[in-house]
Amino acid sequence: MDFMTALDIGGSALSAQRTYMNVISMNLANAKTTRTANGQGPYQRKSVALESTPATPFGKAMDSALSQELQGVRVTGIVNDNRPTKQVYEPGHPDADANGFVQYPDINVVEEMTNMIQASRGYEANTTTISTIKAMYNKALEIGR
Amino acid sequence: MTDIYGANANLIAKVMDLRLERQNLVMSNLANINIPGYKARSLDFESDLQNAIGTADLRSGMTRTNGKHVPGTYDASDYQGDVVKEFKPRTIYGADAVDMDKEMSTMAKNSLMYNALTTVMKSNFDGISKIIAEGGK
Repeated sequence: MDFMTALDIGGSALSAQRTYMNVISMNLANAKTTRTANGQGPYQRKSVALESTPATPFGKAMDSALSQELQGVRVTGIVNDNRPTKQVYEPGHPDADANGFVQYPDINVVEEMTNMIQASRGYEANTTTISTIKAMYNKALEIGR
Repeated sequence: MTDIYGANANLIAKVMDLRLERQNLVMSNLANINIPGYKARSLDFESDLQNAIGTADLRSGMTRTNGKHVPGTYDASDYQGDVVKEFKPRTIYGADAVDMDKEMSTMAKNSLMYNALTTVMKSNFDGISKIIAEGGK
Protein backbone atom coordinates (compact mmCIF):
# COMPACT_ATOMS: atom_id res chain seq x y z
CA MET A 1 0.00 0.00 0.00
CA ASP A 2 2.72 2.44 -0.88
CA PHE A 3 4.73 3.89 -3.71
CA MET A 4 6.70 0.70 -4.05
CA THR A 5 3.53 -1.28 -4.80
CA ALA A 6 2.73 1.11 -7.62
CA LEU A 7 6.23 0.81 -9.02
CA ASP A 8 6.06 -2.99 -8.82
CA ILE A 9 2.84 -3.02 -10.82
CA GLY A 10 4.26 -0.64 -13.42
CA GLY A 11 7.46 -2.66 -13.64
CA SER A 12 5.57 -5.91 -14.16
CA ALA A 13 3.67 -4.33 -17.04
CA LEU A 14 6.84 -2.96 -18.64
CA SER A 15 8.52 -6.33 -18.52
CA ALA A 16 5.45 -8.08 -19.98
CA GLN A 17 5.19 -5.62 -22.87
CA ARG A 18 8.91 -5.91 -23.51
CA THR A 19 8.67 -9.69 -23.67
CA TYR A 20 5.79 -9.35 -26.13
CA MET A 21 7.94 -7.00 -28.21
CA ASN A 22 10.81 -9.51 -28.21
CA VAL A 23 8.49 -12.24 -29.42
CA ILE A 24 7.19 -10.03 -32.23
CA SER A 25 10.77 -9.27 -33.29
CA MET A 26 11.47 -13.00 -33.28
CA ASN A 27 8.46 -13.65 -35.51
CA LEU A 28 9.50 -10.99 -38.00
CA ALA A 29 13.11 -12.14 -37.99
CA ASN A 30 12.04 -15.70 -38.75
CA ALA A 31 9.48 -14.90 -41.43
CA LYS A 32 11.48 -16.90 -43.97
CA THR A 33 12.98 -19.58 -41.73
CA THR A 34 12.41 -22.99 -43.25
CA ARG A 35 14.58 -24.98 -40.87
CA THR A 36 14.79 -24.63 -37.07
CA ALA A 37 17.69 -25.61 -34.83
CA ASN A 38 16.30 -29.02 -33.90
CA GLY A 39 15.70 -29.90 -37.56
CA GLN A 40 11.93 -29.81 -37.06
CA GLY A 41 10.58 -28.19 -40.22
CA PRO A 42 9.86 -24.46 -40.54
CA TYR A 43 9.73 -21.90 -37.73
CA GLN A 44 6.40 -21.73 -35.91
CA ARG A 45 4.89 -18.35 -35.10
CA LYS A 46 5.03 -17.57 -31.36
CA SER A 47 2.84 -15.48 -29.12
CA VAL A 48 2.85 -14.61 -25.40
CA ALA A 49 0.37 -15.73 -22.75
CA LEU A 50 -0.23 -13.02 -20.15
CA GLU A 51 -2.12 -13.25 -16.87
CA SER A 52 -3.06 -10.92 -14.05
CA THR A 53 -1.35 -11.59 -10.74
CA PRO A 54 -2.05 -10.09 -7.32
CA ALA A 55 0.38 -7.22 -6.76
CA THR A 56 0.74 -7.80 -3.03
CA PRO A 57 1.56 -11.08 -1.30
CA PHE A 58 -1.51 -12.90 0.00
CA GLY A 59 -0.69 -12.35 3.65
CA LYS A 60 -0.47 -8.62 3.18
CA ALA A 61 -3.46 -8.48 0.89
CA MET A 62 -5.64 -9.65 3.74
CA ASP A 63 -5.05 -6.28 5.42
CA SER A 64 -7.51 -4.42 3.28
CA ALA A 65 -10.05 -4.96 0.57
CA LEU A 66 -8.17 -2.49 -1.58
CA SER A 67 -4.94 -4.45 -1.83
CA GLN A 68 -6.82 -7.45 -3.13
CA GLU A 69 -7.93 -5.44 -6.14
CA LEU A 70 -4.43 -4.45 -7.24
CA GLN A 71 -3.29 -6.67 -10.06
CA GLY A 72 0.09 -6.77 -11.74
CA VAL A 73 0.70 -8.76 -14.89
CA ARG A 74 3.09 -11.53 -15.76
CA VAL A 75 4.07 -13.59 -18.75
CA THR A 76 3.01 -17.20 -18.19
CA GLY A 77 4.86 -18.42 -21.25
CA ILE A 78 5.67 -18.10 -24.90
CA VAL A 79 3.17 -20.22 -26.78
CA ASN A 80 3.28 -21.71 -30.26
CA ASP A 81 0.74 -20.55 -32.78
CA ASN A 82 -0.33 -23.70 -34.63
CA ARG A 83 -1.48 -22.12 -37.84
CA PRO A 84 -0.69 -24.17 -40.96
CA THR A 85 2.43 -23.36 -42.96
CA LYS A 86 2.53 -21.71 -46.35
CA GLN A 87 3.57 -23.95 -49.24
CA VAL A 88 5.67 -22.30 -51.92
CA TYR A 89 6.88 -24.07 -55.08
CA GLU A 90 10.67 -23.67 -55.15
CA PRO A 91 12.32 -26.81 -56.53
CA GLY A 92 15.83 -25.32 -56.18
CA HIS A 93 15.48 -24.73 -52.42
CA PRO A 94 17.52 -27.11 -50.22
CA ASP A 95 14.49 -27.68 -47.96
CA ALA A 96 12.11 -28.50 -50.82
CA ASP A 97 10.22 -31.81 -50.58
CA ALA A 98 9.91 -34.43 -53.34
CA ASN A 99 7.30 -32.34 -55.21
CA GLY A 100 9.43 -29.18 -55.07
CA PHE A 101 7.35 -27.47 -52.35
CA VAL A 102 8.96 -25.56 -49.47
CA GLN A 103 7.16 -25.05 -46.13
CA TYR A 104 7.38 -21.43 -45.03
CA PRO A 105 6.03 -20.09 -41.70
CA ASP A 106 2.79 -18.16 -42.21
CA ILE A 107 3.86 -14.81 -40.79
CA ASN A 108 1.84 -11.78 -41.81
CA VAL A 109 4.00 -8.66 -41.56
CA VAL A 110 1.00 -6.32 -41.19
CA GLU A 111 -0.38 -8.38 -38.31
CA GLU A 112 2.98 -8.36 -36.54
CA MET A 113 3.32 -4.60 -37.04
CA THR A 114 -0.13 -4.04 -35.55
CA ASN A 115 0.82 -6.10 -32.51
CA MET A 116 4.08 -4.19 -32.29
CA ILE A 117 2.31 -0.83 -32.17
CA GLN A 118 -0.07 -2.17 -29.51
CA ALA A 119 2.82 -3.38 -27.40
CA SER A 120 4.67 -0.12 -27.77
CA ARG A 121 1.58 1.93 -26.82
CA GLY A 122 1.06 -0.26 -23.78
CA TYR A 123 4.69 0.23 -22.84
CA GLU A 124 4.38 4.01 -23.21
CA ALA A 125 1.22 4.14 -21.11
CA ASN A 126 2.97 2.31 -18.32
CA THR A 127 6.10 4.48 -18.46
CA THR A 128 3.75 7.46 -18.09
CA THR A 129 2.14 5.99 -14.98
CA ILE A 130 5.58 5.36 -13.51
CA SER A 131 6.67 8.95 -14.18
CA THR A 132 3.49 10.17 -12.50
CA ILE A 133 4.02 8.13 -9.36
CA LYS A 134 7.61 9.35 -9.20
CA ALA A 135 6.44 12.95 -9.45
CA MET A 136 3.93 12.32 -6.67
CA TYR A 137 6.61 10.78 -4.52
CA ASN A 138 8.88 13.78 -5.03
CA LYS A 139 6.07 16.17 -4.14
CA ALA A 140 5.41 14.22 -0.96
CA LEU A 141 9.10 14.47 -0.07
CA GLU A 142 8.94 18.24 -0.56
CA ILE A 143 6.58 18.51 2.42
CA GLY A 144 9.48 17.68 4.65
CA ARG A 145 11.90 20.17 3.14
CA MET B 1 -8.06 16.91 16.52
CA THR B 2 -7.48 20.65 16.56
CA ASP B 3 -3.84 21.02 17.39
CA ILE B 4 -0.84 23.04 16.36
CA TYR B 5 -1.00 21.69 12.82
CA GLY B 6 -4.54 22.85 12.16
CA ALA B 7 -7.76 20.85 12.16
CA ASN B 8 -7.36 19.37 8.72
CA ALA B 9 -3.83 17.96 8.77
CA ASN B 10 -4.99 14.40 9.44
CA LEU B 11 -7.75 14.67 6.88
CA ILE B 12 -5.36 15.92 4.20
CA ALA B 13 -3.01 13.05 4.97
CA LYS B 14 -5.91 10.61 4.61
CA VAL B 15 -7.01 12.05 1.28
CA MET B 16 -3.41 11.87 0.04
CA ASP B 17 -3.39 8.19 0.99
CA LEU B 18 -6.60 7.60 -0.92
CA ARG B 19 -5.27 9.41 -3.97
CA LEU B 20 -2.13 7.27 -3.86
CA GLU B 21 -4.45 4.28 -3.77
CA ARG B 22 -6.26 5.54 -6.82
CA GLN B 23 -2.95 5.93 -8.63
CA ASN B 24 -2.16 2.31 -7.73
CA LEU B 25 -5.44 1.19 -9.28
CA VAL B 26 -4.83 3.17 -12.47
CA MET B 27 -1.42 1.52 -12.77
CA SER B 28 -3.02 -1.85 -12.20
CA ASN B 29 -5.60 -1.19 -14.93
CA LEU B 30 -3.01 -0.07 -17.45
CA ALA B 31 -0.75 -3.00 -16.61
CA ASN B 32 -3.61 -5.33 -17.54
CA ILE B 33 -4.60 -3.55 -20.72
CA ASN B 34 -3.87 -6.62 -22.86
CA ILE B 35 -5.56 -9.18 -20.64
CA PRO B 36 -8.82 -10.45 -22.08
CA GLY B 37 -11.70 -10.36 -19.60
CA TYR B 38 -9.94 -8.06 -17.12
CA LYS B 39 -12.35 -5.60 -15.49
CA ALA B 40 -11.17 -2.06 -14.94
CA ARG B 41 -11.37 -0.94 -11.32
CA SER B 42 -11.78 2.51 -9.90
CA LEU B 43 -11.79 4.04 -6.45
CA ASP B 44 -14.66 6.16 -5.19
CA PHE B 45 -14.25 8.13 -2.00
CA GLU B 46 -15.02 11.81 -2.59
CA SER B 47 -18.76 11.73 -1.96
CA ASP B 48 -18.53 9.54 1.12
CA LEU B 49 -15.79 11.69 2.56
CA GLN B 50 -17.81 14.81 1.83
CA ASN B 51 -20.77 13.36 3.73
CA ALA B 52 -18.51 12.32 6.54
CA ILE B 53 -16.98 15.74 7.07
CA GLY B 54 -20.20 17.64 6.48
CA THR B 55 -20.08 18.87 10.04
CA ALA B 56 -18.02 21.94 10.86
CA ASP B 57 -16.43 20.34 13.89
CA LEU B 58 -14.85 16.95 13.40
CA ARG B 59 -14.81 16.11 17.06
CA SER B 60 -18.46 16.30 17.97
CA GLY B 61 -20.33 15.64 14.72
CA MET B 62 -22.27 12.40 14.42
CA THR B 63 -21.33 11.28 10.95
CA ARG B 64 -21.83 8.25 8.75
CA THR B 65 -19.51 7.23 5.95
CA ASN B 66 -22.01 4.63 4.79
CA GLY B 67 -25.79 4.36 5.10
CA LYS B 68 -25.41 0.97 6.78
CA HIS B 69 -23.19 2.26 9.55
CA VAL B 70 -24.30 3.00 13.06
CA PRO B 71 -23.78 6.73 13.52
CA GLY B 72 -20.60 7.52 15.37
CA THR B 73 -17.92 10.13 15.60
CA TYR B 74 -16.08 10.43 12.31
CA ASP B 75 -12.48 9.29 12.42
CA ALA B 76 -10.41 9.80 9.28
CA SER B 77 -7.82 7.22 10.22
CA ASP B 78 -9.83 4.06 9.51
CA TYR B 79 -11.74 5.24 6.47
CA GLN B 80 -11.21 3.30 3.24
CA GLY B 81 -12.67 4.14 -0.14
CA ASP B 82 -14.90 1.76 -2.06
CA VAL B 83 -13.39 -0.04 -5.00
CA VAL B 84 -15.90 -0.03 -7.82
CA LYS B 85 -15.54 -2.77 -10.38
CA GLU B 86 -16.91 -1.94 -13.77
CA PHE B 87 -19.52 -4.30 -15.15
CA LYS B 88 -18.11 -7.23 -17.04
CA PRO B 89 -17.49 -5.98 -20.55
CA ARG B 90 -18.62 -7.83 -23.61
CA THR B 91 -15.59 -9.49 -25.09
CA ILE B 92 -15.20 -8.21 -28.61
CA TYR B 93 -12.15 -9.28 -30.53
CA GLY B 94 -9.71 -6.38 -30.59
CA ALA B 95 -11.60 -4.29 -28.03
CA ASP B 96 -10.01 -3.52 -24.67
CA ALA B 97 -11.78 -3.66 -21.35
CA VAL B 98 -9.50 -0.89 -20.10
CA ASP B 99 -10.09 2.54 -21.57
CA MET B 100 -6.65 4.11 -21.78
CA ASP B 101 -7.93 7.66 -22.29
CA LYS B 102 -10.17 7.45 -19.25
CA GLU B 103 -7.39 6.04 -17.10
CA MET B 104 -4.96 8.71 -18.25
CA SER B 105 -7.35 11.56 -17.47
CA THR B 106 -8.16 10.01 -14.09
CA MET B 107 -4.45 9.83 -13.39
CA ALA B 108 -3.80 13.42 -14.49
CA LYS B 109 -6.61 14.78 -12.30
CA ASN B 110 -5.53 12.63 -9.41
CA SER B 111 -1.88 13.63 -9.45
CA LEU B 112 -2.78 17.32 -9.81
CA MET B 113 -4.95 17.08 -6.71
CA TYR B 114 -2.27 15.15 -4.87
CA ASN B 115 0.34 17.76 -5.69
CA ALA B 116 -2.05 20.52 -4.63
CA LEU B 117 -2.52 18.77 -1.28
CA THR B 118 1.23 18.49 -0.75
CA THR B 119 1.47 22.22 -1.39
CA VAL B 120 -1.26 22.93 1.16
CA MET B 121 0.45 20.67 3.66
CA LYS B 122 3.82 22.32 3.10
CA SER B 123 2.44 25.85 3.48
CA ASN B 124 0.80 24.71 6.72
CA PHE B 125 4.15 23.64 8.10
CA ASP B 126 5.89 26.72 6.73
CA GLY B 127 3.35 28.91 8.52
CA ILE B 128 3.94 27.12 11.80
CA SER B 129 7.71 27.43 11.59
CA LYS B 130 7.37 31.09 10.62
CA ILE B 131 5.23 31.77 13.70
CA ILE B 132 7.74 29.96 15.89
CA ALA B 133 10.66 31.86 14.38
CA GLU B 134 8.95 35.28 14.55
CA GLY B 135 7.68 34.70 18.07
CA GLY B 136 11.19 34.33 19.34
CA LYS B 137 12.22 37.80 18.22
